[in-house]
Order: sequence, then structure tokens, then C-alpha cells
Amino acid sequence: MYVPTGLFSLVLLTVALGAQALTPSHHLSLSDVARLQALLSQPFTDLASAYYSIVGLSKLGASVADENDACHFLKAQLDPMSVDSLFFAAEASQAISDCEIPVSNETRDILLAAVSEDSTVTQIFRAVSALSSLGLPLASQEVVGALVARIAKEDNVLAITTALQTATRLSQQADFGGILEEIEDLAARLDDLGGVYLQFEEGLEATALFVTAAYTLSDHVDTEPPLKEDQVIQLVNSVFSKKSWQSLSEAFSVACAAAALSNNRFQVPVIVSAQGPATVSHNQPILQLLVTDVLSNPLASASVVVESAQAVVSKNVILTQAPFSLRDGIFELNFMTSQPASGYYQFSVAITGDTRLVASQVELKVKVSTEVAITNMDLSVVDKDQSIGTKTSRVDYPFKAKGSFTADSHQNFAMTFQLVDVNTGVELTPHQTFVRLHNHKTGQEVVFVAEPDSKNLYKFELDIAERKSEFDSMSGTYTLHLIVGDATLENPILWNVADIVLKFLDEEAPAAIQSKTLYMPKPDIQHLFREPEKKPPTVVSNAFTALVLSPFLLLLILWFKLGANISNFSLSPSAVLFHVGHACMLGLMYVYWTHLNMFQTLKYLAIIGSLTFLAGNRMLAQKAVKRIASK
Amino acid sequence: LECTMDAFLCLTSAYFPKWRRGHQTYKRTLVLLDNLNIRDTHSIFFRSLADRGFDLSFKTADDPSLSLIKYGQFLYDHLIIFSPSVEDFGGNINVETITSFIDGGGNVLVAAGSDIGDPLRELGSECGIEFDEEKTAVIDHHHYDVSDPGEHTLIVADPENLLKAPTIVGNPSDKPILFKGVGMVADPDNPLVLDILTGSSTSYSYFPDRPISQYPHAVGKNTLLIAGLQARNNARVVFSGSLYFFSDAFFNSAVQKATPGSQRYAQTGNMELAEALSQWVFKEAGVLRVGAVTHHPVGESTPPAAYTITDLVEYSVVIEKLSKGSWVPFDGKDIQLEFVRIDPFVRTYLKKNGDKYSVQFKLPDVYGVFQFKVDYNRLGYTHLYSSTQVSVRPLQHTQYDRFIPSAFPYYASVFSMMGGLFVFSIVFLHMKEKEKSD
Repeated sequence: MYVPTGLFSLVLLTVALGAQALTPSHHLSLSDVARLQALLSQPFTDLASAYYSIVGLSKLGASVADENDACHFLKAQLDPMSVDSLFFAAEASQAISDCEIPVSNETRDILLAAVSEDSTVTQIFRAVSALSSLGLPLASQEVVGALVARIAKEDNVLAITTALQTATRLSQQADFGGILEEIEDLAARLDDLGGVYLQFEEGLEATALFVTAAYTLSDHVDTEPPLKEDQVIQLVNSVFSKKSWQSLSEAFSVACAAAALSNNRFQVPVIVSAQGPATVSHNQPILQLLVTDVLSNPLASASVVVESAQAVVSKNVILTQAPFSLRDGIFELNFMTSQPASGYYQFSVAITGDTRLVASQVELKVKVSTEVAITNMDLSVVDKDQSIGTKTSRVDYPFKAKGSFTADSHQNFAMTFQLVDVNTGVELTPHQTFVRLHNHKTGQEVVFVAEPDSKNLYKFELDIAERKSEFDSMSGTYTLHLIVGDATLENPILWNVADIVLKFLDEEAPAAIQSKTLYMPKPDIQHLFREPEKKPPTVVSNAFTALVLSPFLLLLILWFKLGANISNFSLSPSAVLFHVGHACMLGLMYVYWTHLNMFQTLKYLAIIGSLTFLAGNRMLAQKAVKRIASK
Repeated sequence: LECTMDAFLCLTSAYFPKWRRGHQTYKRTLVLLDNLNIRDTHSIFFRSLADRGFDLSFKTADDPSLSLIKYGQFLYDHLIIFSPSVEDFGGNINVETITSFIDGGGNVLVAAGSDIGDPLRELGSECGIEFDEEKTAVIDHHHYDVSDPGEHTLIVADPENLLKAPTIVGNPSDKPILFKGVGMVADPDNPLVLDILTGSSTSYSYFPDRPISQYPHAVGKNTLLIAGLQARNNARVVFSGSLYFFSDAFFNSAVQKATPGSQRYAQTGNMELAEALSQWVFKEAGVLRVGAVTHHPVGESTPPAAYTITDLVEYSVVIEKLSKGSWVPFDGKDIQLEFVRIDPFVRTYLKKNGDKYSVQFKLPDVYGVFQFKVDYNRLGYTHLYSSTQVSVRPLQHTQYDRFIPSAFPYYASVFSMMGGLFVFSIVFLHMKEKEKSD
């Protein structure tokens, strides 16, 4: 059987349809209590943590693993000169059996000295608690005087709550005067959050401690706490809504509040929840209710009566004043004996047997579920023009139709079926009767709603041509599923009825969905370089090169034949320089072509040219002198 | 940013995220709640945020002192709206200011529920997400939890229905996700909407207590349970249809489908998913930035004033991602470089080379003003964009071929003329004519 978890209490919000009457929506489920205990069972780090753990666990009805160890720890850590240390040790030792904290006169004097108007409320509280735990005498009226004076100075929620807690440790005969009225004043300071939560803006701890103090003090002085029923429920909601506690002191305060709320003489909030889901069916006809306090302890003394059970839709009352019977801490009622139709029923449940119960009128929504069967499933493909002569094929659940159906845009695909209640044979119209067509290749799914006619016969017709846009005009094989589901059905159905091949006329390429390509790498692009132009064959150019060079050769040959010579060449520096210079200038032209630019060339040319000019001039002059001399 | 080239040639633009200036200071978060009790019922989620350094300011959504912008400055960097039922935001917050907050780069996490009010529906449609009506819920008769209270609205979502993007949804796990709330559908015209978690094929969204009289708003896999959006300015928004999704109760709950024979999991995957989502939406994960960009011809170390066509060029860029508050080199395999003149001429993958991504490629034989462009837009990451402008010029006249085989006759004629001139000048000057003896 399913054990309610922390989630369950939250889920209660929807189970308990407490629109008119406020019911608690949060409490400590068994797993919450276990987690709270686990948190409080951490190894002690100091006296304060030992106090929170030991006292917190005792509030939850548990105890520390090793009481002797804990007692030794308290004694070892105790500083007999410090009020705080004495308080933690004394209070914790009270929760452990056979653990006594030794008291000296000095200790008593320190504690008594702390009870004065000059100490803070916390100091007074701790000193008073320590004194009372250690069994030392204490002048209650003086404490009240000191508290009243301090409250006037420290007018905050925590201080006043602490003062209330102090008052619980005083003699019942003392005149508490204004202190009791502080409960009402504090209650007026609570913030109402949406009518569901009531809490101090100081946080969960302050709220929880206030609840603890209010109930403990009311018990102590035996007067009913001035809290209205709604306020109690709202406080329960806000104290127990937090399921993950941040600190030991927070967990401690929640444990204290839970203990105070589940065990006091005036107001005990009652939590009514269904064991597992609030569902009955033919298989499980018994509605089981858990009636517990906020700590999920069953309230065995209570008796539970259904005042009325009303169908939510038809408003018919089918059950009144039926008592639940108690078995193993669970209240049970065989609802199916009233033969309810499947659906939701609104239960008004009253819990009696204890005058302290708060939220004892509970509205529950109970579900009567059943099982569905599909009958008369007929599939057919109908021509639009002549709807005669169609062949229908019957398919039985849960088998798949043999072969596949083919439908093109001139045809309709039709499907008829009935849904009946397995238990009663009544026709059903569940919430969800969907027909799903799924294309395996593209993963696309198209869902249609099948609707019943007046005789509750379901007819689904698919006009291929008309519906092409929903399929993106994608022809192909689609698997046809029938989905039947309802909150009141125990057996939801997902049935692969058949495969159908749809053929659309104008098949368009599916538009690329932008979001799918938005985050994908784009295709690589290689630049296509321009092809070099086609050149004529080199044979031609080589032939012409030879042709072009031939005149020079011819020149040399003819000269040779004519007897050209350079016998007049005299190896004078100017002649050599001139010809070298001349060659250089021609060479420079070549270099200009291959490497240099105009400006570089002009620079070199100026140098070579001027040298060549001078050398040429000199050479010609020498030649002229020679010629004149030879004449 | 390296910009050693001539200033006018280097018109590099790269997105520099504002958190570069020190992301630690950008964690101011406004949390809007329906009531302050949500702080307690969702304490694990808020504590995880606070532990990660977020500065959370809790306010009720109708608090009259609410304000997102003061004197033109955003007071917060992130916004959490955990107030599904709000009918009117307090102070000067409304849908318009929230959208301008998103436009200004703010990140928003919204959790709705079946009691969704108009402002959240409007905010959803501004972001391309259409919420179903108030009082509707996502229903799945085939995949509901065993602890479902009766309407089959406590849905167990399979982790297979999560978006395949670890930066958004965290590392894959097999723990199912518990959901209870309102359904959404994505605007098909908005390509930026991400289907973070969808319902199963059998799910739909409708009023649980009314018979289906019209086609449901969301059906099957179109039903979005959690949707996200990364705007073009990298602002991130996450919409969850369920506020319970983030609650302590759902974080700690066990989960098991009601179908007989289903596996029971001791804990839901909600906590991990919520944490991953909050890391993504508040820009702790999936944030990239561009570091130094360098480019130069192969064999050189500095870029020229202008590249010449068909140069072999090496481009490299440093890309870093934010990881646990510090920038570490990003490891991506599909980063592409484009060389663009209006249209891309070259698109090639960058290879990781140490801490840098680099590639060598030959410039196209087209001249003009080009850009080296890295435009990295991947699911779950911020949009990374870097462009560096360079000019590419044609060959200078000295850079053409000097000797083309087809033109050999021309060269030969010139050289033969030059040779002829030289030889002729020598012969002409120094020839000794024979004595006219005869």
C-alpha cells in the first residue's frame, strides 16, 4: 500500500475541497515526521544543539539513541556560571530519564539574579526555566513583574512569545495579569496570507513558538486560548507548510508546535485524508480514511460519519448519515453498496467524539472509478462520391487490424466504436477519446477528438482532402492509435488500432521549420576560384619565338659573311665602361620588367646612364682623336 | 579586442556581454510571490539560489512598492515570478515593464499554475508562449503519479521528453519529473521558443471537471510543460506551467507511475532539473564570449593593411565560456568562420588549437571589403558573434606573371632587339673597315 509522502499533504489541497469550510492543507505526514526526527537526531555539537535535539525529539515522542551518552555530554559541556548553559542542560536533562544536573548554591544565585528587570526576556525565560527544571524555588509574582516591565521595553513578537513561554513555568496561582492578554494581542499581529496562511513576518520559527507558547500557557492556566477555529487552521497551514527545515532551532520549533497542537486541552486540529487515493471501485469498494492529528497519529477515539454524499455532476444525494467503521486505526466505509455511478462524489464528513477537535467538518471529493471496454470497433474507407459498397472491418481490442488501410484525397477514413462500462454495461463517455495518427518517419503526430453522437456511439471521420494541412500534406504510413482515458477509469487505453496509408494529391515539400535549423551548423562553403583562361598551345608561341629571333641570327650570319669585326676596339677604360654601362642599362630594363618599379628604375638609370654618358663621350673623343691622327 | 590594423580597416564589432565587467555584482534578483509562505514551501529552491550567490529580494506580487526600473536603471538583474494567480502586479510593475526588462537583457523565471491570472498569460504571449485558460490543467490518464489525488493532473513526465540540451536541462538522468499545472503551446511563428519539457503523446490540457466540448488548447507532444526562450539579446526566460514543480514537496517526493508494474523512484528529478534550469536562465551556464581575434597571412605575424586576393590567411579567435563563475576555454566542435562580402564566400570549421580556434584558408579571388565572421548560435548557449572587417585588393601590377608562354614571341623580339642594339653598337663603333686595296 502506498505510504503517504510529503507530497501527499500538499495534494490534500485538492482533495479537501474546503471552499466553504477551511480545512488544514498541510500537516506532518509520517515521512515528514521521520525526516524531522532524522534532522533532530544529528550528533550534538554544543549544548544548544543537544537541547534542541533532546527536547525536540521528546516532543515528537521519540528519544535520543543513547541517553547515557547524552547525559554525559550535558554534564561535560555544562558551564555552571552561565545562565544559557544551565538552561540548555537543565531542560535537556528533564527530557532524559535518570539524568540529574548537580546544583550548587552559586548556580542558584546566578539564576535568581538573572530574574530581574535588567535582564532580557530571553535571559529571564532561561533562568526561570532552568530554576523550575532543576526543582529550585522561585517567586512567581516577581517574575511576572519583571516580565511585564521587560515586555514594555522589548515590544517584539519573539520577546512576547518568550514571555508567554516563561509564564508557563510559573505557579498556576500567580496573577498573570496582562500576560495572558498578550496571546490575543499577538494573534492580532499575525499576517493573513490569502486566507490560507497566518504567520508572523519574523518567520516560521516565531510563528511556531507562538503556537507552542499559546497552547502550553492556556493548558497551564486552564483557559481556552483566544484563537478562532479558522485562525488555528491557518496557523497549522503556515507552520507545517515548510517541509525542509534549515536549522535545528527551526526544526525544534516545528516539533514543539506539532506537540502543542496535537496534545492540548482545548483545540486539536484534525487531519482527514484518504488512505491512498480517495477512490473506490468494484475491485476496491472500501473508502479508507485516516483521521489524525497534525503529527499523523491516528485519533482512535473519534467517530466518523458521512453526513451526505452527493454526486458532483447530478447533485443527487445518494448517501446520508452513514458511519465509518474503525479497523486498525483506519476508518472504512463500503461506498459501493450504495451503487454509485462512476464519477466524483462530494462527501461531507463529520468527526465527533472529542470536543477539542478543530476542523471536524470536512468536505472530501471521492472518486468512483470503473473499467472501460471498447466494443464494435469498425474501420472503413469510404469514397466521397459513392458512399455505397464500402467494406467495414471489425477489430477487437487489443489486437491490431490485419493489413493496412489506404485512403487518398477522394476518400474518407471512418471509425466507429462504443465505450462501455465493464462492470455495469452502461455506455460511457470518457473525458479523453482521442485518435492519434503518428508518422514514424517524420515523428509527426496529429491528434483528433472523437465525439459521441446522441446514442453514445463514437464516430470518427477523417476527410483526407480537408485535413491535409494538419498533416503538412505528407503522404505515408501513419499508425492509428485510440486513446481513451478518464480520471474515473482504472484502465486507460492506448490501442494501436491499425496502420493507414494516407495519400495526398499535391504533395508539397515540407517547409523547413526554422527553429530546427536555427541552432545547427550551416553547410560548408568552398570558394570556387576562377578558371585560368585557356591559352594557345605553346608550340605556336615557340615557333613564333624562333621566327622572331631569326633576324638577329641572320644579322650575325650576314655580318660574319661580310667580315664584320671589332678590330678597332682598344681596351681603354672608357670603352669598356661604356659598353658595360650600356649592357647594364639594357639589363636594367629587364630587371625593371621583372622586379623594379618606375622610380627605382629611374634612380638606377640615372647612375648608370650618367656614367655611360661620360664614358661614351670620352670613348668617342678618343676615337675622334685617333681618326684625325691617322689621316 | 585586438585592433592593431589601420583603424579604418578594422571595424571589428563583437558582442561584449555586460557581465564581463564582473558577473558577481549581477545577481540581484527580485522574487515575486503570491504570498510569503511560498518562501517556506519552496525553500530548497531558494536556498540553492542563495547558496550560489544570488541576492534574493522576496516581495508579494501585489506589493505597492514594487519597481523594476528606477531612474532608467534596472534595480534587478533577474526576476522570478512565483505568483501564478496574480491579477495585477503592484507598484509600477506590469507586463510592459517586464517585457522591457527582458528587452534590456534581464532574465525571468516564471512559474504558473492552474490558477493562472491574466498578466502571466499576457507575458507568455509576449514571449511566444500561449498558456491555456485559468482552471485548466495538463491531464494524462496514462502517466500520472500513484499519489495523484484523483484528477490525473499530477503528471509523471519522462526524462526522454526533455530538450536534448545539457546546458539547459543538466546531465541526462532517468529520474522522472513530477508536474502539476497548466499547459502551454509554443507560437509556431516564434523560432526562439524552446520546448524544454513536453507532455507525452497521451497528455492534453483541458478543464479536468468539464467534458471536452472543443479541441483542447494543447494535445500530445505539443503540450509544453516547461518552455524557454533566449531572446536575440541573449535575455533568457523560462516558463514553467507548474509552481509545484519547484516545491520542496515535489523535490523530495518519491515518484511512480500509476500504471501497474511501473518502477518506483525514491526521488523525482525535479531538483536537478530546477537547478539546471535556474543556472541556465540566470546565465550561470551556457554563456560564451569572444576573446582575442587575430588574423594574418600565413608565415607572417601581423595583418597587412590590405590582403591581396588568393592570399593564404590564418584566422584565430579565443572563445571562452562561463563555468562556476570563471571564464574557461570553450570546447566546441562546430564553430564556423565565414568570410563575408554581403554573402559568405567561404564557410569553414574552426579547429581547436590550444586555447584558440584557428583555421587557414585561401582568400577568394574577388576583391572588396570583407568580414571575418564567427556567428555561433547553438542551443543553450548565448549567441556568439564576432566580425572583423578587412579589405582585399586585386593583384598589384608587379604581382602578375612576368613571362607567359603564349607571349614568348614578344619577349623574344624585345630581347633580340636589345641584344641587337648592344652587338650593333659594338660592331658599329669598333669595326675596322678593310683598306680599299682593290
